[in-house]
Amino acid sequence: MNKLVKYIERTQIVFGVTFLVIFFLTVLLQIVTRHLSISVIWTEEVANYSFVWAVFMGAAVMVNRRDHFNFDILQKKLGGKKKFFLNMLNDIILVLFNITILYFGIKVVQKFWDYNWTALPDMKMGYVWISIPIMAITMIIYSLSHMLKHFERFRKGEAQE
Amino acid sequence: GDEGSDSEGSSGEDSIKIIAAHNQTDPENPYQKGLLAFKEKAEAESNGKIEVEVHAGTIGTEESELVEKLKTGAADVVLVSPGFMTSTGIDQVDLFAFPYLFDSYDHWENVVTGEVGDKMANIINEESNNDFKLLGYWTAGVRHYYGKKPIKNIDDLQGMTIRTQTSGVVSDFWEEVGTVPTSVAWGELYQALQQDVVDSAENAYPYFVQQDHHQTENGKYITETAHDYTTRFLLINGNKFDKYTEEQQDIIMSAAETSVEAEWKSLHKQEEEYKGIAKEDGAKINQIDRQPFVDIAKPIQDKAAKEIGVEDLLEKIRNAK
Amino acid sequence: MMGYLLIGTFLVLLLIGVPIAFVIGIVAFLGIVSIEYIPEMSVPMRMMNELNSFVLLAVPLFILVANLMNQGKISEKLIEFALAIVGSIRGGLAQANVLVSMMFAGVSGASQADTAGVGKILIPSMKRNGYDTETAVGVTAASSTVGVVIPPSIPMIIFAGITNASVGALFLAGIVPGILVSLAMMIFVYIIARKRNFERRERVKASTFFKLMFESLPALLTPIIIIGGIVVGFFTATEAAAVAAVYTLLISMFFYKTLKLSHLPKILFDTLSLSSLSLFALAAAGALGELMGYYQLGMKAQEFFTDNIDAKWIFIIITILFFLFIGTFMDAIPAMILFVPVILPTALQFGFDPVHLGLIVVMTLAIGLVTPPYGLCLLLAAKIGKLPIERSFRAVIPYMTIILVVLGVVAFFPEVAMYFPKLINPDLF
Ligand code: NA
Ligand code: NA
Repeated sequence: MNKLVKYIERTQIVFGVTFLVIFFLTVLLQIVTRHLSISVIWTEEVANYSFVWAVFMGAAVMVNRRDHFNFDILQKKLGGKKKFFLNMLNDIILVLFNITILYFGIKVVQKFWDYNWTALPDMKMGYVWISIPIMAITMIIYSLSHMLKHFERFRKGEAQE
Repeated sequence: GDEGSDSEGSSGEDSIKIIAAHNQTDPENPYQKGLLAFKEKAEAESNGKIEVEVHAGTIGTEESELVEKLKTGAADVVLVSPGFMTSTGIDQVDLFAFPYLFDSYDHWENVVTGEVGDKMANIINEESNNDFKLLGYWTAGVRHYYGKKPIKNIDDLQGMTIRTQTSGVVSDFWEEVGTVPTSVAWGELYQALQQDVVDSAENAYPYFVQQDHHQTENGKYITETAHDYTTRFLLINGNKFDKYTEEQQDIIMSAAETSVEAEWKSLHKQEEEYKGIAKEDGAKINQIDRQPFVDIAKPIQDKAAKEIGVEDLLEKIRNAK
Repeated sequence: MMGYLLIGTFLVLLLIGVPIAFVIGIVAFLGIVSIEYIPEMSVPMRMMNELNSFVLLAVPLFILVANLMNQGKISEKLIEFALAIVGSIRGGLAQANVLVSMMFAGVSGASQADTAGVGKILIPSMKRNGYDTETAVGVTAASSTVGVVIPPSIPMIIFAGITNASVGALFLAGIVPGILVSLAMMIFVYIIARKRNFERRERVKASTFFKLMFESLPALLTPIIIIGGIVVGFFTATEAAAVAAVYTLLISMFFYKTLKLSHLPKILFDTLSLSSLSLFALAAAGALGELMGYYQLGMKAQEFFTDNIDAKWIFIIITILFFLFIGTFMDAIPAMILFVPVILPTALQFGFDPVHLGLIVVMTLAIGLVTPPYGLCLLLAAKIGKLPIERSFRAVIPYMTIILVVLGVVAFFPEVAMYFPKLINPDLF
């Protein structure tokens, strides 16, 4: 499980950073071509959609690293069993939310797969929408692996992080 | 939630609620006037059994978003331009985005209220599998060039960057004219014109004057190119519409007719008003011989019409002059 | 009724430690479920649509700029230069801390990177030189808030995106208030430094001074390139962020020679991390904002104000208090996505210029950067100084008061902020 999660995270980081670089270069291309009076009309769309991909992939990785900001007042106060249940509850909530995002995200992909990009009509909107279910399913995997870790630690009687 | 009444939204019952939305946040925009007229008429004729909630940009300021909402049912009546409709895979609607397709409002009205209008309504309905049903044709005005210098003939446009819509036919036309079509977000356009990021843009008076583009360095010369008598589609979700009772459908259709009149009237009035404001503010307006532009547009129209299979409709539009 | 239920859910989820971005998303989802006629699909759809905006691209780009500055050790150069300028005043390190934040603000569009980059160096150094930890943490956290007031500024770009106000004008409007905040803080630091007899450093030799100035120059040119580029029209605000990134990359690789290509993957990953955190929250806020759109809260707020309170100044005080409150537990970006559309119609009706309103909102939310429980700059500085949050916050309060006073001046004397934008774009207003 650990290995798999690490592998998924790595892949996701590579994707996220690649999209970040793509949109950065596209914005630069837009400036350069405009000053050379060359019309490249797809820059805005390509930049926007790679940006969307970058953010969603990055957000999923941040779930794995637990970097999304939360208030830990209660977590700090509790200990032992109570803390274990609280941690589990938090991860269960994330899993449940992401299941709904996954389910409805897939529905969106199905409904709008065939819509076209405006400036590049050969590109499908599906390529953009699919970033949502991919984000959701990786977030589910990460949260499940966290639950597994809580559980193992709890069984060993270690303090919860 | 839905604050009380349980019958909302579920169709076929006594009372229904219709979410009507457009993408303009300005309460004085013709879209708003049109949808409010729709609301008033529908609610009055149904004795309140039809409730219409009008959203002026509150549930989406992008047309693409509103089309998506119409398809999922998150909105029932929305307003869309041909450029965005093509992204739904209905290529034929692009016809109405062709530059110099119409030569006057009369011409435009003849077309949309006549056979071509009906045929296009059918195409939209069939190609979308009844997701979209056309309720009426609105307009967002006639679009003109505005830029850093007045255009006296086509040569004046050579090499200028122009901010236009990114749809294929439109950018083909502007390239053929000799300009460089450029993409600038609408929200950044004021600054872009003010600071020489782009040389020019094109739009209808109520839109660019409201944004003060005519007060910018690169927007104060307006040349009435009239290259696009714009068409906007007032759409309802067809599947939902079919579930309404016949009486409800009749009321909606008649409210739509009222809204069309209200929108046209408000648009024409504003076009005058905003042109006046532009003049008062010191913008320079000039006329131009449109024939050379029309000559450039024609082969582009022919080619594009062939590609999307609407040659017959194009022919009919040309004959309706 | 449903409204209260949603607020209750919001608070409970927050309290048990669910990440705030997800709390926002979950509440949006539940709210949309409760409205029969809105399909649940709207939640993921709006999350994507909210991100699908060209102005937002500036967020990661400006974060990239700040990361490049920190990694490329440009921050250190600026600190040395700031010390050469103000180090010989009593409390020199604290003075330099404020001054360098001002310089940093002219390059960076966010404040956290300044707190992190500058704090990492100056907090330990201040402690070594006899400052109490409170002062070190307080001045570091508070002075970095000008990062979003002095242009460029990510929150200003977002505000402009929501309201269609001119980004350039907003940027220009931030200059004077931002400098005022920094100057006022320097005066305050001077007063306490004399009272508590903080260190002062020897004046640097003229040759050293000019050497440091020369070394800092390329970095200090960045704001001129960014703001100048926007004002003379070389590029739009979003593009300016990309140009700034390229420029920073070039100077740190070829002028300072502090950055190697091998550093880039880490910098890019850090940029992705930091920006996806706030942008994911923004996406979720978009879904909640849509729910509020269906409730037509903007219209209701406008009705409420016209029916009950017909005074411009009460409206603005309520606005400031409201955003102060929201800023305690929410990032500036989602806070604006959610609530600017709600207050905008009323503000326009009262005759506010969107640029003026934008500056007020951005300054108010900048205070949120140092208020607990969720004040990013405060949390970062406290972590670096190893000081508990409560004590850090107490240390920040005097500086916060300074920002509040300047905010009050800006709110009631718009000319303070509007002078520059009007000078450069007279037709705008
Ligand atoms: Na800044
Ligand atoms: Na500082």
